[in-house]
Amino acid sequence: MIDELLANPVTLLCVVISLAVVVAGLVFAVTSPRMLLLVIKNLRRNLGRTTITCLATMVLVAMVTMIWTVIYTLDMVTTEKSKDFKLVVTERWQIPSQMPPTHADYLNPESPKFLPELKGMIGPNDFMTWSFYGGTLDPTKFTRENLLFMFVMNPKHIRSMMDDLDTLDPALVKKLGDTRTGVLLGPERLAMINKKVGERIKVTSLNYKGINLELEIVGELPAGRYDQSAIMSDAYFNDELDKYARTTGQKHPLDNKRLNLIWLRVRDRETFSKVGEIVENSPYFADRPVKVETASSGIGTWLAPYADILWRVRWIVVPAIIVSMTLVVANAISISVRERMTEMAVLKVLGYRPGTILKLVLGESMLVGGLAGLGSAVLTYALVNFAMGGIKFPIAFFPAFFVPAWGIAWGFALGAGTSAVGSFLPAWSARSVKVSEVFSKVT
Amino acid sequence: MTGQPIVRVRGIHKYFTRGEEKIDVLKNLSLEVPEGEFLGLMGPSGSGKTTLLNLIAGLDRPSAGEVWIRDQLISKMSEADLASWRTRNIGFIFQFYHLLPVLTAYENVELPLLLLPLSSAERQKQVLTALDLVSLTNRMHHRPGQLSGGQQQRVGIARAVVTDPTLIVADEPTGDLDAHSAEEILNLLCELQKSLRKTILLVTHDPRAAERAQRIVHLDKGRLVEGDTSTAIRPAPVGAAAGMQETGIKQQGT
Ligand SMILES: Nc1ncnc2c1ncn2[C@@H]1O[C@H](COP(=O)(O)OP(=O)(O)OP(=O)(O)O)[C@@H](O)[C@H]1O
Ligand SMILES: [Mg+2]
Repeated sequence: MIDELLANPVTLLCVVISLAVVVAGLVFAVTSPRMLLLVIKNLRRNLGRTTITCLATMVLVAMVTMIWTVIYTLDMVTTEKSKDFKLVVTERWQIPSQMPPTHADYLNPESPKFLPELKGMIGPNDFMTWSFYGGTLDPTKFTRENLLFMFVMNPKHIRSMMDDLDTLDPALVKKLGDTRTGVLLGPERLAMINKKVGERIKVTSLNYKGINLELEIVGELPAGRYDQSAIMSDAYFNDELDKYARTTGQKHPLDNKRLNLIWLRVRDRETFSKVGEIVENSPYFADRPVKVETASSGIGTWLAPYADILWRVRWIVVPAIIVSMTLVVANAISISVRERMTEMAVLKVLGYRPGTILKLVLGESMLVGGLAGLGSAVLTYALVNFAMGGIKFPIAFFPAFFVPAWGIAWGFALGAGTSAVGSFLPAWSARSVKVSEVFSKVT
Repeated sequence: MTGQPIVRVRGIHKYFTRGEEKIDVLKNLSLEVPEGEFLGLMGPSGSGKTTLLNLIAGLDRPSAGEVWIRDQLISKMSEADLASWRTRNIGFIFQFYHLLPVLTAYENVELPLLLLPLSSAERQKQVLTALDLVSLTNRMHHRPGQLSGGQQQRVGIARAVVTDPTLIVADEPTGDLDAHSAEEILNLLCELQKSLRKTILLVTHDPRAAERAQRIVHLDKGRLVEGDTSTAIRPAPVGAAAGMQETGIKQQGT
């Protein structure tokens, strides 16, 4: 979690701003509780305006938080790590990648055909293969509810290689391994097909024509990232392809293209270059050449078609929202300051220093902005992650995006930061008010 | 009764610029106010009374000349230093009261004390003493909107005296009040001067208010026209709070 923070300068900045604002706020509240009371009473005075500013801030913070969740997640997966990172081996010249199953044998440390040059670099827990199987539960109705998209893989590799599944119950993994036709489903997917653990489902394939499966739901994947996913054992899948060859007398058209991705894990970049060189130059893969990339650059390649729009969202849409937030705050605060210029002058007469008046106005605006930002971020976090099941924004193979816990710092920093910037000019004019001028108009 | 001058204004000039135009408001003006004096300042509208009061109260700085309060040359102090100086040394009473509408009477009186290093118990004691002085303890949780003009001005007076300032300045404090309320306010000011020996500067158009002062100076077109000095100190008006000396307003000092 801390690594994630350090790898992401924007989030780090937000956390620093949040901490600074909280500390400053606490110091203010503890040293001058009565002035805080004045700030709060001033906010209550025009409840309508305060509420509107608050709501506007909340809506905009929610928007930015959701948009930034997508950008942040994509950033995180495409950020190159320097240690213990994953590699993807895919077909070199073709998208989607479709490789013969024998390719996996040369890279599987537990296979007798494992390339000896790779010994010591790839361990038994550093390997995984994926095939993608898509099907429908009702061949007459191709509705979204009926579609089932599965990762086909060796259950043994789930805990060691799948992101965020390292804490999956080992009993569940064992059950999937022991039940040849077993499948694990995400909770949302289960609800969508209206089935429970223990029930069976029939799947008619969409990509592997003729390979239809009868699966037994043996368990549930954790909520969150895998809400919509399904994982089945590769043993059953391979058996069915073999059975197809036996019964029809010829191999399935995809028989020799059944492997979509091979994942490896290496300890550092040096090992990555060695593995890459060995695999890419190995004669064993000559018939269907492969390329070896880091997972992050692999994902980066898949995201390439979206690069343009992501760039625009990051550098135009998000800044535009932030600027409008700042203007909303600046407008509200400057109206309220203008209305109260005489009061500011009275405070000055009583001996309030210009700096104190600046603090009072900034405090007023930042209290609203910070709390609205925080509230909005917490709400967005809860709604998106627990009620909506993530932001459904299908890009590459991400089914949904989840607001990270750090996202709460984005909201707080954004709310407090925009209100500080937006109220700075009005606060400065309050600070600089000339007492003699204000009262020469009155008397 | 009168001792060392507490206010010494020496040869001040004050001009404002309005666009290209330069307006001379005060011209080579000198004035001394002895400690404990109740001084009335009169003059036609636009003669510079408020401007002079602002200079003495440290709300503005003269274009030339010096303003001394006790042994402090306030005309040379920075704006921030002046602000802190005002908290302890100046009690300002406005024509239009200028209480903060969101705060109760109690909280309004407390405002200047928030700037001083006081415990909350000391603060409370001083606020209650000041409110008691203006006989408004029973209304202390009311907001200005719930008080009459006269009552609001009494809160204004409590706010002005709560820090036990060196000097109380009042700019037409009765200008917006009916005769009865004005009378009350003037009585209060007299009490402050008599019982607490406060130095008071009162700007007024109202001859009846000016009557209460020990000395009256007239301003005309930025120059002092001293005259009509009623030297006799009048007997304390009826209703002077007996024992106000024991009210416990602490001397803050400077
Ligand atoms: N801040 C300022 N900028 C420009 N001109 C000013 C300013 N303050 C006062 N003046 C001008 O200085 C002159 C004196 O003003 P001042 O307020 O001191 O008069 P006054 O004697 O208090 O009048 P009144 O009895 O109406 O309150 C006026 O002409 C006024 O317009
Ligand atoms: Mg005036």
